[in-house]
Amino acid sequence: MTGSPTWLYHLFAGLMLAVAAYCLLLLFVSAKERRMSGWDVDIAHIAMGIAMAGMFITEWSFGASWAWEFAFFVLMIWFIARSIQSIQEFGIHLPHYAIHALMSLAMLLMFAFPGGASGGPAPAMGMSETAGSRLDPGLSLLLAFAFFASAIFTLASHSKGASHHGTHVPDYALVGAVDGDGRVGDHAHVRPIGVLDKVVAAPWLEDASHVVMCVAMGLMLILMI
Amino acid sequence: MTSTEVAVERPPVSTRRNDRARRVPARGPRDLQRTFQLVLATVWLLDAVLQLQPFMFTRGSNGFSGMLNSLASGNPGWIAHTITWNGSIVYHEPVLTNALFASVQFLIAFGIVWQRTVRPALAVSVVWALGVWWFGEGLGGIFSGGATPFGGGPGGVLFYALLAVLLWPREGSDRPFVAARTVGVGAAKVVWAVTWGLLAVLCLVGSGRQPQALHDLVAGLDSGQPGWLAHLDRSTETFFLHHGTAAAIGLAIVCLIVASGVYLPDRLTQVTLVLAMVVFAIIWVAVQNFGGILAGGATDPNSGLLVVLLALTYWPLSDHDPLTNRSPRRTVTEEASAS
Repeated sequence: MTGSPTWLYHLFAGLMLAVAAYCLLLLFVSAKERRMSGWDVDIAHIAMGIAMAGMFITEWSFGASWAWEFAFFVLMIWFIARSIQSIQEFGIHLPHYAIHALMSLAMLLMFAFPGGASGGPAPAMGMSETAGSRLDPGLSLLLAFAFFASAIFTLASHSKGASHHGTHVPDYALVGAVDGDGRVGDHAHVRPIGVLDKVVAAPWLEDASHVVMCVAMGLMLILMI
Repeated sequence: MTSTEVAVERPPVSTRRNDRARRVPARGPRDLQRTFQLVLATVWLLDAVLQLQPFMFTRGSNGFSGMLNSLASGNPGWIAHTITWNGSIVYHEPVLTNALFASVQFLIAFGIVWQRTVRPALAVSVVWALGVWWFGEGLGGIFSGGATPFGGGPGGVLFYALLAVLLWPREGSDRPFVAARTVGVGAAKVVWAVTWGLLAVLCLVGSGRQPQALHDLVAGLDSGQPGWLAHLDRSTETFFLHHGTAAAIGLAIVCLIVASGVYLPDRLTQVTLVLAMVVFAIIWVAVQNFGGILAGGATDPNSGLLVVLLALTYWPLSDHDPLTNRSPRRTVTEEASAS
């Protein structure tokens, strides 16, 4: 088999749907436990997972391009606002929400410039063509590198689950997040939850979904160059 | 990036006001060696994803095998034969071999992330880098006389191997500079001086100082580049055509200054490191074109980015340097509750 690696696109599209399904389940479990921190990230990952699957495989895409653009624009503004809020609250630092704002921006750009950066055929076949508009490949590379760095540093972080909840959020620790010194959340505050719920809300699984999303989005940006 | 944030110490006790008031002591010194390992892992991850570009899975002159075979020319016969032998394997099994190559790079990237696998991953990265240098970069053009540092000579991938050695995990302090933590101050300085001395030589030998060759080096890259970079390329081509020899001699002098920099007082060392980073950042953009990634036909970002990372590992650190100390942990107030 040579040429366009469709099996690869199917693999990544499948992973994207798996991430979307997982985040939907996570949202459900979080709502059931009234533990709603990170809900915005879950919603963003659901939207991104479904949209990205449609970018990798044409047949799996649906919805008007403008609707997706609007959705990701709203998400981007939301995460920018949360980033500003975080800086106001905790002082100058790189807020957790910044990477999600960047991911929303990347999705917005990929829908707005579906022809790829260099005008070549992009795998984003489910998106409508905007004649004459091209995404700058330098910006694509910059965003892709940021996502790869986020994936690597998230995996290496001692604060498990931070990819969804940030490190200022206490309640993700309640399901077993471990900090750099091996301490876990104060179990005196933990409500008893089911085994399945605990598995779904496992911080490492939340991080894994973020890492997969980052790598897939970076790949899509590289493919669009 | 989440890693820059701070770990949750404990869940909230009562009110937000209490949370905001509660501060915990600063953590220990920042592990810069680990930070640089993770940056190296990020570059490996970029390489792995670049390996998944569609043309990599294709045969023919425009495919991966064609790219490999083209690197054989200019090398001695027996070396060229090994390169074309590898190219023929890739030609016959493009999907299998390319998927394997990408997998190895994914394994290296993610292997460096986990503390338990960082040593095997770095060891594999050294072997892999040397293999890529031989079969994938044609020994960096050393034997063909085209290994000028302007073009990434003696091979961008060698810097991956060098960084893997210098960033090999070892307990200890990041002072006086990160690269010394594993191999020791004396050995690290020798490695630095030899590396930059070699770069200086490569600026002047072979076609490295020929204006036309330097012009062609950039001209061969500008096809498919975005408009702003193609415009920059044309300026670079014109510059090399008129001042190529002077540029080569200038870069050689810069390399020699940088080579001696680690033996100078800290302040002067910092000046030479900044010089190295600025010069190679410019080369990375204006000559190497980010390794050709923006034209959609590259497998790695070439040497510029790695040289900057290498220079950072030699940055002199003191006990009071803000780079070596973490900021105090912030309060554990929930970000989400701010709204």
